[in-house]
Amino acid sequence: MSFEARKKALRFLFGPAAGKLGYKFTPNEEDADFLLEQEAAIEAETGIPYCPCQARSKDRAENMRMVCPCIPFHRGHYDAMRRCWCGLFVHKDVTDPDGLRQIPEAGWRKPEGGAAGLPPR
Amino acid sequence: MKKVTIYALSTCLWCRKTKKFFEDKKVPFEAVDYDKQDENRQSEMLAEMKRSGCSGAFPFTRIGDACVQGYDPGEFERLLEKK
Repeated sequence: MSFEARKKALRFLFGPAAGKLGYKFTPNEEDADFLLEQEAAIEAETGIPYCPCQARSKDRAENMRMVCPCIPFHRGHYDAMRRCWCGLFVHKDVTDPDGLRQIPEAGWRKPEGGAAGLPPR
Repeated sequence: MKKVTIYALSTCLWCRKTKKFFEDKKVPFEAVDYDKQDENRQSEMLAEMKRSGCSGAFPFTRIGDACVQGYDPGEFERLLEKK
């Protein structure tokens, strides 16, 4: 299957899953296309569409936390950023993704309760 | 001029933007693509990132003694200017 076909397939597969989590593809079409292309290439190499911006290691359990869409494994962190780490997915109400910041996981304050975390003041 | 090192992934959009930020500012830097290294070097890189309190997410940029995880031009600017 060509990269173009696989990019379309990944888009088709990921959309509903992310939608149920309250996310959508970034409106920045150029970024979405680039990231899906990277994932199609990673999948062709490894067999799995891993996140293009997180390190894979020999720790398979840790690697599983980076299989796209990896939102469920980083829920509070991504909700605080209103986007996922690589930027492929944003919250459904986001219209200007370029205005969103990457907040390091260490810089994100885990909430006491269950609500989505807030970045430190 | 502070030493700038960028740990990156060749597939990462924000790593490309980070490299471009320093290129545009004509600040020399060393870039190491994690996914192009052998397993030993990868383990060293990850250990260094975790010692700095960061997860395995890229980009990871060291400016002098300070480090920044993620693409954060404001923080890059601040650290470059900081005495």
